[in-house]
Amino acid sequence: MAAEITKTDVDAIYGTVAKTIADALGCELDEVKRDASLIDDLGAESIDFLDLVFRLERAFKVKIPRGKIVEDARGDLPEAEFEQKGVVTEAGIARLRTFLAEVPADRIAAPLKTADIPRLFTAETFAKLVIRAQREQGAA
Amino acid sequence: MPGRYAAFTFVDRITSFEPGIAARGSFHIPSDVGHFPASLLAEATGQLAAWSAMAKQDFRVRPVAGVAHETVYLGVPRPGDLLETEIRIDSCDDEVVSYQGIARIGGTTVLELHDVVGPMLPAGDFDDPEAMRGFLDVLLGGGATADRFRGVPVLPLAPIDRETGRCARARLDVPAAAPFFADHFPRRPVLPGTLLMDCLTRLAAGVVAEARPGGTAFVRRVSDVKLRAFTEPGATLELRATLESTENDTMIATLEARAEGQRRPVGGAHATFEVAR
Repeated sequence: MAAEITKTDVDAIYGTVAKTIADALGCELDEVKRDASLIDDLGAESIDFLDLVFRLERAFKVKIPRGKIVEDARGDLPEAEFEQKGVVTEAGIARLRTFLAEVPADRIAAPLKTADIPRLFTAETFAKLVIRAQREQGAA
Repeated sequence: MPGRYAAFTFVDRITSFEPGIAARGSFHIPSDVGHFPASLLAEATGQLAAWSAMAKQDFRVRPVAGVAHETVYLGVPRPGDLLETEIRIDSCDDEVVSYQGIARIGGTTVLELHDVVGPMLPAGDFDDPEAMRGFLDVLLGGGATADRFRGVPVLPLAPIDRETGRCARARLDVPAAAPFFADHFPRRPVLPGTLLMDCLTRLAAGVVAEARPGGTAFVRRVSDVKLRAFTEPGATLELRATLESTENDTMIATLEARAEGQRRPVGGAHATFEVAR
């Protein structure tokens, strides 16, 4: 079981993550709120996520595989139990609520299409992504 | 198809090739083409990277223009020049490729391409993967016939309004038909991002020239290029260039292209101009 990511862990890198998000999205730093959805609130598109992940890899000198957030959220839950026909199952939603604890729980509600999972991602989601990548790299 | 592998293909020969790792290639700019915008140096380098990435992914996917964090222009290509390109792929999978590149003319570096990130999309949506595989064999063998390229049109910009020496807006009516669509791409013609960047930098150069009359403005660096959407033949874009900062004879402009009804710009970048006296 991976060690829990604490608020202190997130706080330590959040400033750099928020600045990187602002640079990638071309928005002002103060628009990047911790719990703002990058897609719904900041207008991010798929190309912005590619750009953002690339910039985070550079800024933190880590490697972040594509699709890592959803993959980690699913964890050891078989794919068929996580989603069916492109819709996240109840078990999947429970997983997401735990894994994406930084996302207000009312946003993670059925029916949720798997394609819409990225709409949940906040600035803090990306901070946690970086921390996990740092830990995996450190453990390798 | 007329113009295939000619109208907008900027690799004649590949001399060194490691799929998904590195490549070297060349392209001869025909002596009789009138217009060869500097942005095509980036196109030529990007196309070499695309061959390497597609070969690694077995032509299931192909890269399209996405993000170029920094493009540095160090020289001007001229008709008759032999362009030598070199790329190094940092990472490549079925979703994204990232790479660096250089273009040289006569051994002198004329372009540096830093940190390009391109989304990989299903190759068959854009072209016939088998035909592409066949053309790669040609490039890797004796090379394609030289001087197939017949030039690209200068896409006209219709002025909308301007604040002299500060900003300008112009309309770009993308032609409904043009030779370059045969290559870019046969199954899904779209305006090449490098031609859009050429239009945007031309618009900005006009503003820079107004801000520094008497000098000759040339683009030295284009940063944070991001292309968010495809532009179809016949589309209309609104281009905008705004000078953000000026320091002696170096000026930075924000470039943006918008399509009607779209929330985010189709594309944007920052361009650094230098003014020679």
